[in-house]
Amino acid sequence: MDSQPFGGEPVIHFEDEDSRRGFLKYAALIGVGATLAAACGNSSSSSSSTPSPSATASGSPFGEGDVGVLNYALTLEYLEADFYSKAPQALLGEDFKYIAPIAMHEAAHVQALLATLQKLNATPAKKPTLKYPDGTFTDKMTFLKTASAFEETGVKAYHGQVTVIKDKAILGAAASIAGVESRHAAILNDLLGQKQVPAPVEGHATVAETVAIVTPFLGG
Amino acid sequence: MTLSEINWTRRGFLGRAAIGTGAVISGEAALQLLTSTRVWAAAAQGDLDVLNFALTLEYLEADFYQQVNASGTVTDAKAKDLFALIGADELAHVSALMGTVTKLGGTPVAKPTIKYPDGVFKDYATIVKVSKTFEEVGVGAYLGQAGAIENPDILQAAAGIFGVECRHAALIGKLAGLTPEGGIYMGATETPKPKADVLTAVMPFIS
Repeated sequence: MDSQPFGGEPVIHFEDEDSRRGFLKYAALIGVGATLAAACGNSSSSSSSTPSPSATASGSPFGEGDVGVLNYALTLEYLEADFYSKAPQALLGEDFKYIAPIAMHEAAHVQALLATLQKLNATPAKKPTLKYPDGTFTDKMTFLKTASAFEETGVKAYHGQVTVIKDKAILGAAASIAGVESRHAAILNDLLGQKQVPAPVEGHATVAETVAIVTPFLGG
Repeated sequence: MTLSEINWTRRGFLGRAAIGTGAVISGEAALQLLTSTRVWAAAAQGDLDVLNFALTLEYLEADFYQQVNASGTVTDAKAKDLFALIGADELAHVSALMGTVTKLGGTPVAKPTIKYPDGVFKDYATIVKVSKTFEEVGVGAYLGQAGAIENPDILQAAAGIFGVECRHAALIGKLAGLTPEGGIYMGATETPKPKADVLTAVMPFIS
């Protein structure tokens, strides 16, 4: 998955839930953890109070408890915010008006999560180094497909944490962010001519599943 | 809700849009949101109550879209597809919620008698406005109950339904040609609606 993960379709497993899940069943977390470690510039062997990318017993490389959830969300939001900050306005033309607010939302999510982690006296995850496949910002359809994939991944990632989050205020805030990601996903799917609402109830993904999807973008 | 109130609601959306992208929540405001319990702690009266509350809203939405789709008023192909899709989603929510209440040993609340302002289904613009209002109310309603749900499976399902209502709201906003920020997207975070506010919003539609 590391060498040629894209082939023009950054997240090829997205539209077919069954095959995606089938694929992920065989995705090795070991490799994922190693890539994240490189991306975060941390030594995978040392464990400290800073969020460690190495997989824990519970499977989250972002740490335990609500702080772990927040750092997981922060890492995803870093990725989204970085991606949209590079949105090719000229290439998107008329559609850019739907993208510009998304860029602002993702940046706001990063700030909100950082502020919350600081408020909790926790160490926020560092922004990972990011890489994108060739063509991501030079081909309109590739950009929109990547955006849609990120949003759908984000939606499922947030939903996957609702039963993990302990603090009700954090649960509510995370849900209020997730709903915005859902709006983004619907609009991007609409721009792509894809089914805007893939299912009447949105799915949810584990940390491991999400990490497997976004790992190709980490560690440029 | 009367039609004039619906108009007011729409003006509200547009009014926010007039502020421009300043509607995006600041980090500070988001922090207050994250650390505030004022909304999330409201009305924990049991999961069955939450489910039946949600079911009532879904009955209303499903009924509305059934009538929209049967009205023949929506003629644009893309709009027709969207209303058909949303209608199917809302019906799926109704049966999912009914099934869940029953599974939990509860009694699903009965479908209310629903009334609409005269002529709603004869005017495309009105259909779109009512639809947007219902979806945004649904979004706020589900989010407002997030902290009240105890059962993890129910919380999981509610989150998945909530996200779909957000999608509907955005898609209807785009269909209506509303401004992206403040019409399609309602800021960087969704806004929860307390149960009482939701009931106030939908009561005019329930006989």
